[in-house]
Amino acid sequence: MNSTTQKKVIVIPCSGIGKALGTVGREATYEVVESMRKDVTQTICLALLVSGDEESVQLVQRNKCITVDGCPLQCAEKNVRIAGGDLAASLRVVDALRENRGLKPKSVAFLDRDGQQLTRAVAEQIASKVDAILGA
Amino acid sequence: MSEYLQTVFEKFELRVHKEYHYTEDGLWAKIEASRVRVGVSDYLQRTGGDVAFVELVKPGSTVQKQTEIGTLETAKTTVSLLSPISGTVEGVNGMLSEKPELVNSDPYAEGWLIILTPHSLEDDLKSLMSADDYFQLMLKKLETEHEKLEST
Amino acid sequence: MVDLPQKMVGIISCSGEACVEGTISRIATLLVLEKLRPAQTVTICLPLFLAGGKEERAFARFFPTITVDGCQKLCAKIGTERYSGKPASSIVVTDLNGNKNCSTTGSKRKLDDQAIGLAEKVAERIVQEVDEVLNHWK
Repeated sequence: MNSTTQKKVIVIPCSGIGKALGTVGREATYEVVESMRKDVTQTICLALLVSGDEESVQLVQRNKCITVDGCPLQCAEKNVRIAGGDLAASLRVVDALRENRGLKPKSVAFLDRDGQQLTRAVAEQIASKVDAILGA
Repeated sequence: MSEYLQTVFEKFELRVHKEYHYTEDGLWAKIEASRVRVGVSDYLQRTGGDVAFVELVKPGSTVQKQTEIGTLETAKTTVSLLSPISGTVEGVNGMLSEKPELVNSDPYAEGWLIILTPHSLEDDLKSLMSADDYFQLMLKKLETEHEKLEST
Repeated sequence: MVDLPQKMVGIISCSGEACVEGTISRIATLLVLEKLRPAQTVTICLPLFLAGGKEERAFARFFPTITVDGCQKLCAKIGTERYSGKPASSIVVTDLNGNKNCSTTGSKRKLDDQAIGLAEKVAERIVQEVDEVLNHWK
């Protein structure tokens, strides 16, 4: 994880192991931080944040954060709040599923076609939120 | 004393409410004076997955036992919901349109589906399972699933 | 409470967003859960476990666990030791790769052939550990 003096939007997915929508959230996060908005976003490990890693905690406190949760437990949103993060937006992958009815991502490890399509939809939403945050 | 029969499978606690009546598919019926409230069991919501949409029949509809009263659409699949009894739909759970996850988080209370005025309750109850019997059925289903996984 | 007789092992993988080895850790874990030992393993969601998830903590208290970490930060191993006791086994991807440092080159998302090969190697190692734990359980 890189420390940087330039402010960035931190996009934090849940761990999401065991559920296809968790993998979708994670993949969408990578799509944004590695490609769509790579100069103005970065991600961190949620587990590292939850375990109290000082660098992670400072990063979320000093920058605007977007959380991406794969299930209703919303671990990413809850734990960023607990860490005192500056939570600018929280997305739930299930809401993207509701807007893209009929998609049924099946596999968890490697996404199938429905999973990839849903990933693109979620990535677009994250990117829009990033633009709104930086434009404000 | 708990109001549930409970077991643990993998890391999940699966509960069966002791006072409800059940279909083999996993829908429950709770008698409330002259009405019957209907919902899904813990086992059904757990195997179905995270609920994204709940579609239900409209109030005023008449339903027959074992006919469709709605569907649960999850991330994995679409589950058809078959009524445990015959009756007239008096009300549906309006919270589920905005918060479908209630079916997962609280299937025996806040996640209820519809309320019916029964047409022939005494007859219909004869074909429903007690909590003990449904619990045993659930254990058998879990064992079968486990055996299937072992054989892959 | 009636419990079905089960011999199961909990696999706790790190979240791994920071480096390629984290993704490898995750993919290896999922290969074991979905294909190699689906009846004998269960995943424990690490952030939920660390944050006090009831089911996660209960499982890890009563069943053996194997932690899989991508790097030397050892989030999964340290967290498991803190909240439920020593795991039956700990695997670190960078150790299996002979490289102590966390790699930041290459996509963390699209694993290349080398990374996929390493994921499969890690999966095989997880399977060995799972079988070892279950054999001792008999």
